[in-house]
Amino acid sequence: MDEHKLEQILRADMAPPADENARKRAVSLAMAAFTEEQKKKSEKRPQGFSIFSRLTGNTSISGRRETMERKTRNKLVYGGMATALALVLITGVSLTQVKNFSQITGDSGAVIRQEDERQSTLTAGAEAASPAYVVAVEAANEENPLQRWRRIQEEPAKTTVNTPPGSNAPAPSYIAQPPSSGELKKEKDGADYAIADKAIAGRASLAENMIVPASPPVQNLYVPIDPGPQPGYKDVGRDKFEDFTVNPFKSVAAEPVSTFSSDVDTASYSFVRRQLDNGVLPQKDAVRVEEMINYFHYNYPVPESREEPFLPTVTVTDSPWAQGKKLMHIGIKGYEITGEKPRSNLVFLLDVSGSMNSPDKLPLLKSSMKLLLDSLQPEDTVAIAVYAGAAGTVLEPTQVREKGKIIAAIDNLQAGGGTAGAQGIELAYQLAEEAKRNMAITRSDSSVGEMNAVNRVILATDGDFNVGITNPEELKDFVERKRETGIFLSVLGFGQGNYNDALMQTLAQNGNGTASYIDSLNEARKVLVDEASSTLFTIAKDVKFQVEFNPSTVAEYRLIGYETRHLNREDFNNDAVDAGDIGSGHTVTAIYEFVPVGSQAVSVDPLRYGSKESCTTVRVHADPNDASSPLVAKEMCGEPNVDSGNGEYAFVKIRYKLPDEKNSKLITTPVNISNARIWECQPCPAEGVCSPCPVTASDDIKFSTAVAAFAQILKGGKYTGNYTYDDVIALAQAGKGEDLYGYRAEFIQMVRMTKTLAR
Amino acid sequence: MPEYEDAELIKRAQSGDARAFESLVESCYEVMFKMAYKWCGKKEEAEDITQEACIRLARGLGSFRHECAFTSWLYRLVINTAKDWGRAQARRPAASEDDPGYINAASAENAEDTLYAQQIWAQVSKLPDGEREALLLVMAQGLSHKETANLLGVKESTISWRIHEARKKLESALGKEKAYG
Repeated sequence: MDEHKLEQILRADMAPPADENARKRAVSLAMAAFTEEQKKKSEKRPQGFSIFSRLTGNTSISGRRETMERKTRNKLVYGGMATALALVLITGVSLTQVKNFSQITGDSGAVIRQEDERQSTLTAGAEAASPAYVVAVEAANEENPLQRWRRIQEEPAKTTVNTPPGSNAPAPSYIAQPPSSGELKKEKDGADYAIADKAIAGRASLAENMIVPASPPVQNLYVPIDPGPQPGYKDVGRDKFEDFTVNPFKSVAAEPVSTFSSDVDTASYSFVRRQLDNGVLPQKDAVRVEEMINYFHYNYPVPESREEPFLPTVTVTDSPWAQGKKLMHIGIKGYEITGEKPRSNLVFLLDVSGSMNSPDKLPLLKSSMKLLLDSLQPEDTVAIAVYAGAAGTVLEPTQVREKGKIIAAIDNLQAGGGTAGAQGIELAYQLAEEAKRNMAITRSDSSVGEMNAVNRVILATDGDFNVGITNPEELKDFVERKRETGIFLSVLGFGQGNYNDALMQTLAQNGNGTASYIDSLNEARKVLVDEASSTLFTIAKDVKFQVEFNPSTVAEYRLIGYETRHLNREDFNNDAVDAGDIGSGHTVTAIYEFVPVGSQAVSVDPLRYGSKESCTTVRVHADPNDASSPLVAKEMCGEPNVDSGNGEYAFVKIRYKLPDEKNSKLITTPVNISNARIWECQPCPAEGVCSPCPVTASDDIKFSTAVAAFAQILKGGKYTGNYTYDDVIALAQAGKGEDLYGYRAEFIQMVRMTKTLAR
Repeated sequence: MPEYEDAELIKRAQSGDARAFESLVESCYEVMFKMAYKWCGKKEEAEDITQEACIRLARGLGSFRHECAFTSWLYRLVINTAKDWGRAQARRPAASEDDPGYINAASAENAEDTLYAQQIWAQVSKLPDGEREALLLVMAQGLSHKETANLLGVKESTISWRIHEARKKLESALGKEKAYG
């Protein structure tokens, strides 16, 4: 590295242009500090005799004492002022909470950018506001001008500002002047605010903090604090995805059992679609094959009772992308709730931070919520909590029959401010608990429906939880604990560039919910209207799959997708281990690719020294009939449990819990070579041209195979050989079927687009 | 000569002239911001650091003795603020550690240069504070070793040593992915 070059680089002016607002703020703050400094200087009295001017210990001590006294006195005065202010605010029905994300601690303890909540004024009417404002300014000037200045400066959007008349502050011109760029917001007369204010009521429970509006809460407003993202700021390429490697082929001799959790999320598909629509190939970790497959609905046989909520349908076909290999589809479709639907209490937790302020985020979210309202019943309740600079309640739990009120609350949402996701989550859960309690009360009067109501928090965000509990583990634990109390969490993802998929997946999985990604109104309709009952009503919890392959018929297998849903073999029977949930009418498809014994496609060499049967050591009681006898290790060598083992490929086991139960139930299906619905490959018409093998199968099987192939190719195509996008298109066309909503046609278009992009 | 090098203006500000101070801060904001950005590589953070530095400037202007260039004094102020800021940040659980920063290192003529510059900046940000400030003052601000030493209150040989160490680290970090001749 030559010095000149290094110097050139280091000296180059690479900083982005400084933000004008930031500059103004800094200058004003500096001016305030300067004025304060000058004032201090002028107050300094000469110490000792002026002739023998010298510093003595005594003077400095007395000086300190004086300072302390002044501070105590000030504390009383300003404390009193603050209390009075609080009273004025409460009685004046106008309060909110401002969260200041300030972090630097200045020299004299002036705390800037430190997270602290403090009350501030929000006007009900201009008259009520201005005195309060003046008090605030006066209190602010000497006590902590910098903090206060910052608050005031950020507030012009919601405060009807009057420059304090006759304020005796030494530096009013810098402190009280609202920036001219700020938009003065005129409030409607009599507007009320129901915003939880922790600063005033301490950390008491939410119910106490809530100030219930007197007049129609339709006018509840949540007014943003921050002007929004800074101009020129762009979130690019900071989407976060969990990193994982594709499942490899496994030898049945070494590992005959494969275990995984169900996954009905669809976020991956819509995220990928969006990227492709924008002309960008998605990053590989964004592609989760199982979510791509499960985005579509397949017409698997539907069970008839809720007690056994799904039937597994197993189909074996030849693998279209590799000769000599086979695919095993395991499809289940959840029981569809018919007749009277359980009541739902939904709490929307919306991210209204500045970053949500783009057409594909908050506005889309608002339209989506209105769509969802249509698929709810009149008795269901909806509540809205928001988080940005602060967390607040926008709408108390409200029955859907009061649609106008809900829609007005939705329309009033605006984006602005930082992101305090964690605090918002706490608030949302409190609202959900409230709704749940209320319903319990009404239900004791008239027991409505047999099934418990659905209590669900729906989190809508573009992915960042910058402030508050930043530790994802802590957040996860919180959601998990709440799940035990019967409140589930679903996640709706928006936007891109800063999308934190990994965290959202974790939250949804731990909250017994689904993670969806909303990239368009169409997708919102699919998730919130067409599939509303799947999204809302869980019919089975902790659905786990375990497939045991028969070593005498299957040499190797690999599970396509579900990498992030892998479970250990022993987790299957452990009811304490959490797994995916299935909603009403959800379909889940899992595809294994396997190599039958004797095929030339075997990729793993057989063991030279390995015995044919796999042996495992288990601990059993010495006397099988006496449970108190000591445990001894016993070698269990593959004495097949089933005689007809040669007639089966595998044995599929599914465990699930009904929504209200703690113990799991088991469904099993053997995959018989003879009776499994097997579509064999057509005989090769001519030598060497029959790859890929044409699949003759039902539309659903064909289509899901096509999606699986597409997803795998997008991920790099480690196992798909030279299967091309054209083959995918052909297979998907063949499997398009009825395609009522056009989702499958859209998929085909998407593959065409990818083909062009990947060229 | 930029306005902030005007000794008269500074003296007036020091004597308590708010107007003079205002134009002083206005004029040196940009250079402070650039310095802060070079230190941390993130726009928002640089703005926060600069803001804090402006406040410190207001409080500490009196201690400027006109013995060195005002710019150098400013650098010292910004770097100290940035270091304190960094310490304050380290105490807080940061969620965005993986943010590469320096996204705007786009002044070079072509993409390859930009990439290289980004790599260098990424490495610079990993240097220990002492080496980083020495490197930035000498290489990026063009101060002499002696000036830097005076500014930082260390021996001139220490500065030379730190620069040497910093360059060695940069070279070994970038040597592996040598994108440039």
